[in-house]
Amino acid sequence: MTSPEQKPSPVWPWIVMAAAGLVTFVAAMTVPPDAVQGQLSRILYVHVPAAWLAYFAFGVTMFSSSMYLWKKDIRWDRMAHASAEVGVFFTALLIGLGMIWGKSTWGVWWTWDARLTLTAIMFFVYLGYLALRRTTDDLEVRAKRAAILGVLAIVQVPLVHFSVVWWRSLHQPPSIIKPEGPDMDASMIATLLIAVVSFTVMYVAMMIKRIELARLEDSILIAEQSSAGPTAGDAVAAPDLGGGV
Amino acid sequence: MTSSFGTQVSAIARRDLLRERRAGEVLWVTLPFGAIALLLIPLAVGPDAPTLQAIGLGMFWVIVMLFGVLISIRQTNAETQPQRDAVALLGIDPAAVYLGRALASFSLLIVFEVVLAVVTVALYDVPLVGWIWMPLVMLLVGVGLSLLGTLAAGIVSTGRSATALVPLLVAPLSVPLLIAATQTFEALRLGRSSLMWALMMAATSLLLAVAGVLTARPLQETG
Repeated sequence: MTSPEQKPSPVWPWIVMAAAGLVTFVAAMTVPPDAVQGQLSRILYVHVPAAWLAYFAFGVTMFSSSMYLWKKDIRWDRMAHASAEVGVFFTALLIGLGMIWGKSTWGVWWTWDARLTLTAIMFFVYLGYLALRRTTDDLEVRAKRAAILGVLAIVQVPLVHFSVVWWRSLHQPPSIIKPEGPDMDASMIATLLIAVVSFTVMYVAMMIKRIELARLEDSILIAEQSSAGPTAGDAVAAPDLGGGV
Repeated sequence: MTSSFGTQVSAIARRDLLRERRAGEVLWVTLPFGAIALLLIPLAVGPDAPTLQAIGLGMFWVIVMLFGVLISIRQTNAETQPQRDAVALLGIDPAAVYLGRALASFSLLIVFEVVLAVVTVALYDVPLVGWIWMPLVMLLVGVGLSLLGTLAAGIVSTGRSATALVPLLVAPLSVPLLIAATQTFEALRLGRSSLMWALMMAATSLLLAVAGVLTARPLQETG
């Protein structure tokens, strides 16, 4: 019988990820540059989808964590973990691209703006979530503690998103989803939508690979824990009574 | 155990304070360490009096946040597994354990804040504008930080690298308290009302208390 661990890993998520990346790249490079920002505006087609995916991934972490606390099914914990990890990756990408854009536009890599600062804080909170998962090898304890933090940490997401509305901010307010309608050119909106959809597909493919990896990690951990270790009797040697008896 | 919830909270707080009285960790280690940190900053930024006056209050709150975490997690970290099991077997409400620990941390944090405030005024010559608000702000920061630290210590509990991980969780989440504490005095300096900042600290503390009480039982089950 072939165990699930011995099945060959599917290749198609890698192909999907590459295809999604290619679609985004082609769309971002073919759309005309912004009238004011020029070529720099192309960062937008990765920056905005990265922001969307960070929110979405942390939302999935919160949902999966809640489901774990309710159902106690380890698969929900793996999904929460995978999503948090992907979310941290996209948050790092978001911050990195924002800094490049900021240096070219504002003249500084970093400014103490509410949106920037809160995004950095969100990044560190979820980094803490990932670190928390490494503090114990007990799957159930790890899952429960991480699930509680996974639910509590979601408070960061609305804080980050609405920070440009609640505080005076250098970061621009929402440009597309707003009551008076979008103030972007239709071609830019279409490109942005293509990028958002491509990145979401990429997220799904990344999740499939990461959940598979988490399942393998757990199976190794379980195998290590269930393998026979030294027992108390090992330390006791039979008495040598002598005389060849 | 059939005692009331309030009695349980008080018993846990008294136990933690008794432990601190015997160990003296806050008084003899954390407090001097905080004072040394306040002493080191002027050596790094230079002894320019106007600069030190300008940054003094902010540095005080940063030190309170960073070193306050150590105070709020020490009780949880000092507790052994058999002691946790004994508390659980006694039937003490996990929410009472959470609030009791937070109450003990709060008492220690207040002492820490008061002593460091005196050191800050002495070393940085901080202007005493709006200092009538200081007791209230110290109180609110103490409540929020003790609830947050106790909650984070409960989540991390006995795991590997617990002592290093709790500050990583607490430091970013304590930002609302840090901003509100510093902005209270900034608003007073500019002649504006500080009430909104005080309410922000109170709301943060309330949210943390609710989260801590709701998660106390599942966290106790994880040992």
